[in-house]
Amino acid sequence: MKISKSILHAMLIAVTTGAIVSCEKPRAEDVSKPGVTSPKGQSNTDQGVPLPGGCPACGMG
Amino acid sequence: MIAFCGLSSNLDQHLLQAALPLLQSGKVDALEWSFDTLYNHQDIPDWFVELLRTFGNEGRLVGHGVYYSLFSAKFTADQKNWLTHLGRMCTAFRFDHITEHFGFMTGRNFHEGAPLSVPFNKTTLAIGQDRLKRMSAVCQCPVGIENLAYAYSPDDVSRHGDFLEKLVAPVNGFIILDLHNVYCQAHNFDLDPKQLIDQFPLQLVREIHLSGGSWESSEIDPGRQIRRDTHDDGLPSEIFDLLSYATEKCPSLKFIMLEQIGISLYSEEKRFQYQKDFEHIRTIVQNPGPNPKAFVEPNFLPGNNIALSTPVEDEALFRQQRFLAEILENAGDYNDAKKLLEIKMSNTDWQVEHWQPHMLETAIAIAQKWKQGFNAQPH
Repeated sequence: MKISKSILHAMLIAVTTGAIVSCEKPRAEDVSKPGVTSPKGQSNTDQGVPLPGGCPACGMG
Repeated sequence: MIAFCGLSSNLDQHLLQAALPLLQSGKVDALEWSFDTLYNHQDIPDWFVELLRTFGNEGRLVGHGVYYSLFSAKFTADQKNWLTHLGRMCTAFRFDHITEHFGFMTGRNFHEGAPLSVPFNKTTLAIGQDRLKRMSAVCQCPVGIENLAYAYSPDDVSRHGDFLEKLVAPVNGFIILDLHNVYCQAHNFDLDPKQLIDQFPLQLVREIHLSGGSWESSEIDPGRQIRRDTHDDGLPSEIFDLLSYATEKCPSLKFIMLEQIGISLYSEEKRFQYQKDFEHIRTIVQNPGPNPKAFVEPNFLPGNNIALSTPVEDEALFRQQRFLAEILENAGDYNDAKKLLEIKMSNTDWQVEHWQPHMLETAIAIAQKWKQGFNAQPH
């Protein structure tokens, strides 16, 4: 499926720099409220959100 | 119709790095997102939200829960919160369907523990159906359950498909057929994987999962290798063969998802293998054999006749689940666990007398690995 260039570009920057979390970000609990973001100008101190290894879900993980 | 080939995706550096060239090429038809796994990370970037919405708006996004704990014998506040979160996610994104896993979580706290199977009886069926109805009422889209990789005995393996069919019936639900889970069961119980596939209600399979895993040596049965569904390697060649077999037999198949954990995609070589696996899946799906079943798309929608009353609970089963979890999480070794199980759970529907020793050994390993959730895992 075709993905917009702007999304792919943002993703490329994120994976290249390791900054998976952006400066202006909706909170996971707030994505149902479009437009809710962190305060502008907040420095980006998050350097990626690697999910930990493994997944318990399938019962043999 | 040819099924959509997609990726299980989440906010993970290596996983997204591996997926990016595939997304850029336009070859990814669909995305699966485990919407309840970002509990430790409050922030998700705008581009990821937009990525999910792009797929969602085309009916190509599916949600895959991890922590609902379908068969917990008590309906907990954590499950209520999970359903509330599911509702929020379904408002924010358009999911084509929502799925969860089979089993109950061993952890005393949410996001801790691993799912284990339950006896296939009237009590567990009623509990599972009740929890699925609650999911269905919240998300208002098709709901499904994935087959479990773990089983205590060959009897559990042979009855799993029938139980799944009964489980999803009240919500007109469907099944995820995880072929690596089938592969694990076939190897661990010395069974033919294709015969195992045939034991599932294949008309209900709307999604297939594909992943790799790992081998673990049994200490109590020297020479025996146990197959674990660890999602940390490329697909074994047998999985591609099983995919060809299954796609011809599943008339309602709509999504095929590749799953691999980010931590295992740490090198260019590993990421290239992941991309190659995805291309291989696409080739198989786009070139069906001579006798594919004609695609029919049942709506799998729950309808309006689902009545929700007081949550189904069972005190005796709850105590057994706690006993089992505590024994597995704290046993010093296999013999220790076996002895405690004989004292506390003999002559129950759990049929601990028939559990395969190497599978009890595996259950101990899994329960102790996930005892403290993701927090205790290597980053």
